[in-house]
Amino acid sequence: MSSSRIICSGLAAAVLGLFALPAAAQSFRVQCPAGTVLHPADVTADPAITTATEQAKYDTITRPLDLHPAAAPAANLNILGKLNPTPAMANPHIKCQQISGGDGFATMGDGTQTYLFAFGPLSGLNNIVNGRPGTTIASEFLQSNVDATGNVLDVVKVGAPDGRSYPFNGAIGLVPDAQAVDNQDPVTGLNLASVGTELTGHIDPRLAMDVGVLNGSAPAPTIAIDEGDELFLTLTNVGMVMRPDLFEQHTVHFHGYPQASSFYDGVPDASVAINIGGSFTYYYLAPEAGTYMWHCHISPPEHLQMGMVGQIYVRPRQDTIATDASKADKKLYDSLAADNAATALVTKCAVGDLFCSTQTPATSNSVVATASRMYAYNDGDGSTAYDVEYPIQMHGFDPNFHFVGMTFNPESFADNKDKYFLLNGRSYPDTINPEPMKTQSTDGVERYSQPLPTIINIPCLSKAGTTCGDGRALLRISDLNVTEYHTLASLGVPMHVIGYNARLLRDLDGNNTDYYANSIHLAGGESVDVILEAKGLTAGQKFYLYAGELDHLSNDAENFGGMMTEVNICPSTVTASTKTCD
Amino acid sequence: MQATQSFIARLVTSAIAALAAVAVAGTAGASAPGITGGGTAGASTFDLVAAAGNTSQPDGASIYSWGYGCNTDWSGFAPAAITTANCPAGRMQLPGPTLIVHRGDTVTVTLHNNLPAAAGNTSILFPGFKVTAATTDPGVAGLLTQEAAHGGTVTYSFVADTEGTHSYYSGTQGDLQVEMGLFGALIVLPTNPANTSACANSPVAAAQQVDRGSGPPADFRLANAAFDNAAACYDREYLFQTSEMDPRIHEQAAAQVIAGAHCTQPTGCMSVETEPYHPAYFLLNGRSMPDDLDPNYAMQYPNQPYNANPHLHPGEVMLLRIIGQGRLQHPFHEHANHVRVLARDGHMLLNAASHLSGPLLFTTTTSPGQTIDVLFEYTGKNLNWDIYGHTLNGDGTMAGAKGGDVDFNPGSDCDANGYFTRTPTANNFFEWCGDHKKALESKPFGNVGDGGPVTLPDPNILTNGAWYGGSPYFGPDATARAVGPTPIPPFGTVGNDPGSEAGYAFMWHSHNEREITTNNIFPGGLMTMLLVDPWVYLIDETK
Repeated sequence: MSSSRIICSGLAAAVLGLFALPAAAQSFRVQCPAGTVLHPADVTADPAITTATEQAKYDTITRPLDLHPAAAPAANLNILGKLNPTPAMANPHIKCQQISGGDGFATMGDGTQTYLFAFGPLSGLNNIVNGRPGTTIASEFLQSNVDATGNVLDVVKVGAPDGRSYPFNGAIGLVPDAQAVDNQDPVTGLNLASVGTELTGHIDPRLAMDVGVLNGSAPAPTIAIDEGDELFLTLTNVGMVMRPDLFEQHTVHFHGYPQASSFYDGVPDASVAINIGGSFTYYYLAPEAGTYMWHCHISPPEHLQMGMVGQIYVRPRQDTIATDASKADKKLYDSLAADNAATALVTKCAVGDLFCSTQTPATSNSVVATASRMYAYNDGDGSTAYDVEYPIQMHGFDPNFHFVGMTFNPESFADNKDKYFLLNGRSYPDTINPEPMKTQSTDGVERYSQPLPTIINIPCLSKAGTTCGDGRALLRISDLNVTEYHTLASLGVPMHVIGYNARLLRDLDGNNTDYYANSIHLAGGESVDVILEAKGLTAGQKFYLYAGELDHLSNDAENFGGMMTEVNICPSTVTASTKTCD
Repeated sequence: MQATQSFIARLVTSAIAALAAVAVAGTAGASAPGITGGGTAGASTFDLVAAAGNTSQPDGASIYSWGYGCNTDWSGFAPAAITTANCPAGRMQLPGPTLIVHRGDTVTVTLHNNLPAAAGNTSILFPGFKVTAATTDPGVAGLLTQEAAHGGTVTYSFVADTEGTHSYYSGTQGDLQVEMGLFGALIVLPTNPANTSACANSPVAAAQQVDRGSGPPADFRLANAAFDNAAACYDREYLFQTSEMDPRIHEQAAAQVIAGAHCTQPTGCMSVETEPYHPAYFLLNGRSMPDDLDPNYAMQYPNQPYNANPHLHPGEVMLLRIIGQGRLQHPFHEHANHVRVLARDGHMLLNAASHLSGPLLFTTTTSPGQTIDVLFEYTGKNLNWDIYGHTLNGDGTMAGAKGGDVDFNPGSDCDANGYFTRTPTANNFFEWCGDHKKALESKPFGNVGDGGPVTLPDPNILTNGAWYGGSPYFGPDATARAVGPTPIPPFGTVGNDPGSEAGYAFMWHSHNEREITTNNIFPGGLMTMLLVDPWVYLIDETK
């Protein structure tokens, strides 16, 4: 441990000793409104509430926010004299996620059990164990953890989730607060709600600790949102049971977010840091589409090396054109031109604007949006179209540092040397294991430590003879290694590089500056978007992605493995939810 | 109007409101100070020395180093507003003096080799320029260039025909001499204003100068554009030179220059192991964090005169001149916003129409010997909440419109890009109109209203940073309204306090995170803080 850390810990202890804190020992809570000013709740969305009269009783905004949607809304009037919206009315553009900040264990490619400081999932657990982003819409997030008789649901338990069939995606720990004065009228002081019936955001600490302690994963839970979404990301610091000597705070840094606010930027020096036993909800309106990343910003040389790194990406507005009835001709160009119009102040990217990269191309190529395709950026020309996307995070672990991190010894940073080279927290051959990987923790419980495989399946689409059509896989590659640069090379399938650092490769006049390569080279803190195209290849072919630094093709002492995975050309299509060949 | 011009060019109107002057004190400024080469048009002449000295690190280490310095007490400095500038005769500095010239100048540099005898010869390379040695002072032949023998001199000459940011460094035993500190920056300013007439003549409008009541704020720029291109205008500029040090190399060198004091060989008499390389210090402009936040020319760093402490106001365009010195690549991560790459090694990245085609990056890799010029700005656009903490009263007016903030109608009072630039004297000048009066929090917190999407935490149950004023809001009045007079814990440690500067702080640092340490102590190393200052805070780079 560095000397400054001793000072920090000592200071934290002193602060705890000096101040009588107003809160109890813990202050776990989540925020996830069913409606906001920007995204009002849809009072027509609940099938149980059908008449206009009934619908008019409901407010479209959860106000004040502490009063979250009612589980049993009858008679629970808010300060405007209205009923709060139910979870079923939640606006789908409000996205919520809860993560634990703590520790855990992971299994390296040579079988070694490695200690992590890590984030783990405390919502969207069904998604996570199935390799999907943990982000959910508010109605899915806002589920009580107790049944009608007050018993805790069976799914909320130590070791959850317990398999790919694990059904629950709600916020772990979310229960009606038996003591909350939910709905105090600011004028009269009277409580307008019946106590103990509503989901105020209160988290039962026992439930959060049961699931959250030691559930850290590598990488951290993936976050995926759409442009225009409001994201409520709650970090719940459950502490590190393996290091009871540490008073370790955690934060979330949204790495690469343009026009960030320093308050939600996660740098503890410039904002707040979240103590053990506390929760904090980060709030962002989704920025322009792109492949970003997130990580803890407390003592970065330590917390990032120990594993507190994750992926976040934003999908573009262009994805909605195919289903948008107001866009009759479905032309990508027309939609981008409208978004870039002089009066479209929020979205426009004018020709010549230095600080955006989605300028309208000089001429329309008349490409139309199709529902089966997605786009990496608001390109206006379809050049970033893809069929299936693969988030890939590059990282490295120095086993000496992780050993020191689990014990109580001084750390050094300058001579960090990674020996495990990871894609989504795994080394080859674990990268091609389709199952979520488990690791047994020190309490004897197995937890899903590395849920994400990195098997790249590219759809062949319409074939001409045996030759594939225009199937495309988007690789959202981010690197959060903290010691060195990585090269990822592709054997056989050229890499079409279309985005860099979460921005479309395009000049100020709207000309694409994309390029083809056989490898990409990036540092910790960089991202790149690469499309692998099946065109001209043959179904059933297998190719490889591997580290160009050949010493990275090893798992510590094993002269084999490391940063490598497989690319398959599927016979026809790929199922988006499972990313398997059909 | 496009965002290709610096903010003054983007002003729509300038209505002046008479507001109370605000006198504030704050942290250090930076800019890109350096030395200029005399008053003759078309010529720049420098008289440099290579010498030994000691540099200091925040862990208390004093490290034996070599560096370039001025051979005589220098008198020509830029920007002129930094009156503390100095370059005393014979004193080495790390990095070497930043040489500031104009395009087309014939640059003449004389180098005096005052390194210890054991070092042997030394020299300077100016990559990218066609350098010749003067026939009157050719020095002695070396491998890559002409060299100065121990105690001798060499004079180089070249035409500065490429604008932008360049490096210079030793061309003699580079693995040792560059590691010891023999490197510096060369900045070539454009001379032909043909394409940059729309660039701002001053980073602060005349109305703002009057309003601030402190006289005209100095202009700390070297020019108003980095290149003779309309896309290269800027309002503030900073130079970042990254390097690293392996203290074992410096310790060996210190011992061997004593042992080899009577050396007469051109190649020196040193045998320092420069591999395997284990740097423990990672530097910005020769200093580690937090030393790089102290002022330029601070007396406690006599051999490290340059700091790295960027400031800007919302809407200003900042030019970053970034140079990879040393031998490692560093992924320099800019929090807060993307940067647009203007040029690499002094060559603009342009398409066939001479418009910018360089990428937008949030991490700029510094490579050994390579320079990049990038542009940055910050406004807090599209957060979906008013960063100034303005909220809506029931009658539609702005709550808390005081302390220099001016209410406006987002529908009619904003410019073509959606910013409030009508009132240069307003504290909320350049506010993003789309979020005006949108609350962040749902319930009143201090004197800031409700209706927003989130509930803010009780600051007493979190750990608060030294650059955190106690609220999410921007500007002294906004923060004061949010938190009231009560300081937040830990009391009295706020470096960016609500009563004065109260800006937003963002970390700019190497994302090889092991490099934000000083000899294995976190925090330190290759890291600094960007401060976005409210307009009431006049940025003074001399402090």
